Formats: sequence, structure tokens, C-alpha cells
Amino acid sequence: MQRGWLHSGPLLWLQYVDKNVKLKVGKHEEHRGWLLTVDPVSASVVLVNFREDGASVRVVMGHAVEDVEVLQESDPETAERLRLFLLPPTTSSLDPEELSRRRMGVYRWLEKNRVPVEEDGDSLRVAGALTILAPYRPEDCCSSNQIILDRIQRLIQSQPHLLKVDPGFDSIQILPGFSGSQEL
Amino acid sequence: MATPVSVLRLPKGPDPNSRGFDPNSPRFVALCRTSISTSAAEADAKELQREQRARSALRERFLRCLLTMTNKKVQFHMHEKVDVEATFGASDIDVLNFQVSDLHTPIGVQKEALIRCQDVISFTFDM
Repeated sequence: MQRGWLHSGPLLWLQYVDKNVKLKVGKHEEHRGWLLTVDPVSASVVLVNFREDGASVRVVMGHAVEDVEVLQESDPETAERLRLFLLPPTTSSLDPEELSRRRMGVYRWLEKNRVPVEEDGDSLRVAGALTILAPYRPEDCCSSNQIILDRIQRLIQSQPHLLKVDPGFDSIQILPGFSGSQEL
Repeated sequence: MATPVSVLRLPKGPDPNSRGFDPNSPRFVALCRTSISTSAAEADAKELQREQRARSALRERFLRCLLTMTNKKVQFHMHEKVDVEATFGASDIDVLNFQVSDLHTPIGVQKEALIRCQDVISFTFDM
């Protein structure tokens, strides 16, 4: 089935999604789990097994898959659970006012550095090629242009902060020596 | 615009127009010959549309899975029962290599490494 699996194609692979399957891997291995997806580029199979406190995920490379057998059809509850598994991690729990303040801070910092930036709803748009989403940290920059991405990320990284926010957003520490003003 | 996936571009430089799905790009032909005949491009356009939709849905799920794996400890199960642990960094677009950090090998810990996907049978991580 080896060459068969690699050549099955996306329509056939799609049929296995959200089902409980048993994979024959290599010569002697077997793995079971809920099939999250099959990568169309490498035919790799992603299996999920739920535990009491989370899940364990196994990705079997396409070239190693010998056989795939369906053990259980998909049910809506598990399908939903698998779908939630894929959602991006929840964004910040900062209130809208705080987010707005941070956005203005980053906006002014970019302007000060002569970067063409405009507000676009809750995000910032830079040079028509890069978007900064809340909460406007370097890792929140999105662009298909690597050079602009790198430059803007470094710039935001170097912005002097008045409020230091830790990544978990559990606490906000105010650095000593600064007043409440955001003017740089 | 969605959060970009960590993608490693290897120095060999792929065809700039190819995104891994183009079966005619020289890089794809050279390295991923196996995937080519899965395309129903020769068949009717409607079939192709269905196929492309399936392809994108599957690929998106896979990319999100790679995203959740970033910076997590992953166990790679390789040939000859070799198991190594590392912190996952990124994959390249054709899933030919994985970039990892702190790779624990029998001869020591490699700070940064590239693992060839051909050498990997499967890899696991916990959420």
C-alpha cells in the first residue's frame, strides 16, 4: 500500500480526517489515533490521542506509512475537539483601552522612525505590506516580505517601554522613573 | 492576514513561483516526485477544484499543527530504533527538513540542527 498511500491524492486523504484509524508503519509498527490531517505535500499523517490532561500527537511521515485502516467513524464531538485543537493560542486578555494605548504607542514609535504606518481597525498597517495585530509585539507582525518583517520586528523590539508586560499577561509591572505620559 | 508559519528556506533556493504545490517546478520534480501523479489536473476542471479545496484544507490543518509544535519538546523516532529528543523550530515548505534546537543525540547535545525528513519515521509531542 506504500506507493498507494503516497499517490492517493487529497480527496482520498480527506476521507480519513476525523476518523479513528490504525496505521501500519514501517515493517512492524502500528499506531492508532484520531486522524487530524494528512499533509498533501508529504502525505504525513497526524494522529491525536486524547489524555485526561491534554493530548499526545504523533506525526507519521508519509514515506513510512504502509497501511491505513479505519477503526471508528468520526463523531461530531470528537471532530469539534480536533478542530479546537488547531485553533491558534488565545490572544491577550488585555482590555480594549489598554490595547488601544499599546496600539498608539507602537504607531507613534513607528512614525517617529519615519515608517509609513496607518491604523486599520484593531491592527496597524505598515507600508501596505505588513500588518501588526494586537497586542502589537514583534511576534504579532505578519508580512510576506521577509526584509520588511525583519526590520519592523527589530524596530518594535527596540521600542522603549513605559509599561513592561510579561508574555502571559498575568501581571503588568510599571518601570520606576517614568510618569504616565507616552510621549517619547 | 493569518499568523505566518515558521518556514525555513534552504539555501538551494526554490523556484520563486513555486509554493510546493506546483508539480512542474524543478525542485519539486527532483525531490518530491512521489506527489506529482496525485494531481487530477488532466481530468476535468470541477474535479481539480474539489481536489484543490481538499488540498488546502488538509494543508492548513497540517500547518496549524506545525504551529502548535513550535518551541515544544518533540521526540523523533528514526530508523534503526533511534529515538532523539529536540525542541521543534520549523519545517521547510516541502517538508523535507526540520530545524530543531537542543537535539539530544547519543554523542551529545547539538545546539541547532537540521533533521532530514527521509530519516524520520514518526515524531511525537504532548499538548
